[in-house]
Amino acid sequence: MRGRLRKAAAHPSYRRCAAAFGILKPRVAVYTGEGASHSWIWFCDLLERLCLFDIGFITDSDILGGALRDFDVLLIGGGDTYAMAGSMGASGAREIEDFVRSGGQYHGSCAGAYLVLSEVDLEPFAPFSLIEGDMLNVMREPPAPLCLEHKYLAPYGSGWVFHPVYGEVELAAGPAARGLDVFEANGPIAAPLFGGPVLSVADESCVVADYTGATDRAAFLWPRDEAERLIKGKQAFVVRRLGDGTASASGPHLEHPLFPESNALLASVLVKHWNRCSRIAGVAPALNRGPSSLSASLAPTKPDILTLRGSDPKTCIQEIKCQVSNARIVGFGLEKTPVTWKIGVKVWEPEKIRMFLDVAWDRLPFLESQAGSGLLQAAGLEELASGYAGVTGLAKTLRIEVESGRDSQAEAQSLLTRLKELTANFLALYFELRLQEQAGRARLKTGDGAGWQAG
Amino acid sequence: MDSMYYGDTLIVDLDSGTTEEVDFVEADEAGPGLAAGLALYEKYKDADPIIFGSGLFTGTPVPAACLGFVLGRSPVTDELAVAPLNLFAGSEMKLSGFSMVVVKGTSAKPAYLWLHDGVADVHDASAFAGMDTWETTDAIRREMGESMIQVISIGPAGEAGSKLAAFSINYWGSGDTAAIGALMGSRNLKAVALRGLGMLDADDPEEFYTRSLELFAFARKDRGFAALCAALGAGDLDKWLEPIAHRARACFACPSACFPFVKYNEAPTVMESSDVEEPGMLVTSPSAALWLMDGGWEPEAASRALEAMAREGLDMVRGARELAGKPLTDLGQITRAVKALEGFAEAAWPSGEPAPAGLFGAWTPPLADADAWKLANMAGYVLGVCPTYLMLSEFDLEALAGLCRPATGVRLEIGGLADMFG
Repeated sequence: MRGRLRKAAAHPSYRRCAAAFGILKPRVAVYTGEGASHSWIWFCDLLERLCLFDIGFITDSDILGGALRDFDVLLIGGGDTYAMAGSMGASGAREIEDFVRSGGQYHGSCAGAYLVLSEVDLEPFAPFSLIEGDMLNVMREPPAPLCLEHKYLAPYGSGWVFHPVYGEVELAAGPAARGLDVFEANGPIAAPLFGGPVLSVADESCVVADYTGATDRAAFLWPRDEAERLIKGKQAFVVRRLGDGTASASGPHLEHPLFPESNALLASVLVKHWNRCSRIAGVAPALNRGPSSLSASLAPTKPDILTLRGSDPKTCIQEIKCQVSNARIVGFGLEKTPVTWKIGVKVWEPEKIRMFLDVAWDRLPFLESQAGSGLLQAAGLEELASGYAGVTGLAKTLRIEVESGRDSQAEAQSLLTRLKELTANFLALYFELRLQEQAGRARLKTGDGAGWQAG
Repeated sequence: MDSMYYGDTLIVDLDSGTTEEVDFVEADEAGPGLAAGLALYEKYKDADPIIFGSGLFTGTPVPAACLGFVLGRSPVTDELAVAPLNLFAGSEMKLSGFSMVVVKGTSAKPAYLWLHDGVADVHDASAFAGMDTWETTDAIRREMGESMIQVISIGPAGEAGSKLAAFSINYWGSGDTAAIGALMGSRNLKAVALRGLGMLDADDPEEFYTRSLELFAFARKDRGFAALCAALGAGDLDKWLEPIAHRARACFACPSACFPFVKYNEAPTVMESSDVEEPGMLVTSPSAALWLMDGGWEPEAASRALEAMAREGLDMVRGARELAGKPLTDLGQITRAVKALEGFAEAAWPSGEPAPAGLFGAWTPPLADADAWKLANMAGYVLGVCPTYLMLSEFDLEALAGLCRPATGVRLEIGGLADMFG
């Protein structure tokens, strides 16, 4: 897995798109609020590879509070669409639509795609309507699945949203991919479909990519020929101009770190939008509009009690490393147990615990390298260390409950919610540092102050 | 030689309860594995440290690359001695993020070392004082919330400083025949707990992996215990244990399962998991079993005695030798007899004979002539590959050493092994 990840990370498409974003510099909001699962962290992986570090993490209440005005792009990944739509309601839907019409860009993957389809007129989804289209994977009484029963269905009105195929699918270019070089070289590209919609749009010019089938790396919940028949030629990725902005939606997780071509496809659409914006309407990146109003709310919301062995950044980072390692070890142990938890309509497996923790683990070496730079303040790090110590405790409690055979739903929900908050807090700090480092390098390059320090 | 060494060398000062990572550049000169361990001992010899380490290939897909080691001055012989870290302790040692750990000083109160993912913590083990090794293993795993943590611990024998003490690896007896367990006890080091989720880097990963798998393809894959018994000239040992044998278990990455698991608290034919929490015992010392068989013990009683020794943290080879002529059947008597072995605090060797001297001790009786056995031990501890497997499989040492280049980018000449040991 790691080897494949490393190869994917070296894909030349990132350099190409990063060069474009180096000029455009949009400020990106990643949704981590109610209903968001773990997949938003894949957006962060992608943005980081594109050297886009100006990232904020926003929740449903941030959106309702008008936080989108500080951003240029809103990314909503997978999760529980009911919880997302229910928490934001009609006011949230209006905020998002206003954001797009005034020049912002929305992209939704999986749940984030279901959320904005105009033909989904069931409450609480009805107010969200950025993409004129529908989903085809809906049925009143779907047949029994061949496998992955827990991944198969989600309730939808009097019927069900179902997933006939789960895993790697292939995409071919649609009319809206014209001018994108992603498809030209290699033909169909691979992308992961983890419960996202099979889309149907009336306006063909909106189609960036169609499904062409699934690969041997997919699990077929229906007989393969029937599953492929259902998705083949249907829309996987659509984009629509709305006012001065753009809304796009994809069934597959184009942002998944193991799929560099689909990453490039998503990045290309983002770049294309920003090129258009710079030509029309004079929409300026939010970077020029001052600091984000979110920065004050980035601190952990529930600090746990922990006595640190010191208060300098280096000691704090060591403590974070210690606690993240402890929690990862417990989380890895849980992966051996046949347990899942259903939170809302979303099924969570134990491996999601480690996916959150790996976000911090993989980025800690960078923090360690910055420990003596003067950029890091011990206070913020102490709160993170306390948070991860709390997570370790929650993970151990969860493990005891699982091993004893008792109902562990409440403990799992508590742990996963805390991990989501903490991961967003960690990444906020991390990307702030990367941004400062990037700005410092740029200043050095232009001769604007050798030996820069953040003030 | 950065590849294959997952992390740095760790210095643990039990006097202060602090840890420090250092670059041990001399390892490049000394050689890998135990050769580096010996050089480290020399560097820190004023502190008379205990050194926990792993070999070059430990934790990799090389056949039988399970071996780590504990090096220290034996309280029995007052000479440097090494004890094997096999089962999954050696590989976890490497993956915990430290290829070498130098433990200096004495803790003011019982302590345990928790090595995980390149992080080292000294924890208070006061609550574990007096616990046997099974209880200690459970307590640490419970405290850290993971059952795959590998625990090298001492029992009451090590805490009491018995010269028959040995460390155990999780629940099972180790090959510590040099009373390293007593040495740990003298430093108030109750246990070392290991867990790592990291990965090792090879200089040329694809070639290393491919060639490792090629070695595996040609590796001897048989019931290791039967082969081991035959090599010891004790083919009937396998048959003796057969009525209570449940399964055979191998160490990390080993194609040959040397250790029989015997069941005596439930029928050995029971294959599914049952409510019996402690159904039996992993027989990790064929030498100890052989002493008891030859001494007239029944296999079940002998296995119970081995269990009691592993729990108490006693050297099973020397303990079994002492118990050999006094076969017992009653569990209470067995427990008392094993407990009494702790009293050998002064004796160099319980039967009054001189203790086997030399670095490699009497973990397993020599499986070949002395020179061949010594070479297998040297190669095994340097490369991190079980010397017993090297002998039983008649492995091509040159082919094994040839993996050093794709692993590290550096060539290793087998002919130079002896030089590494001075």
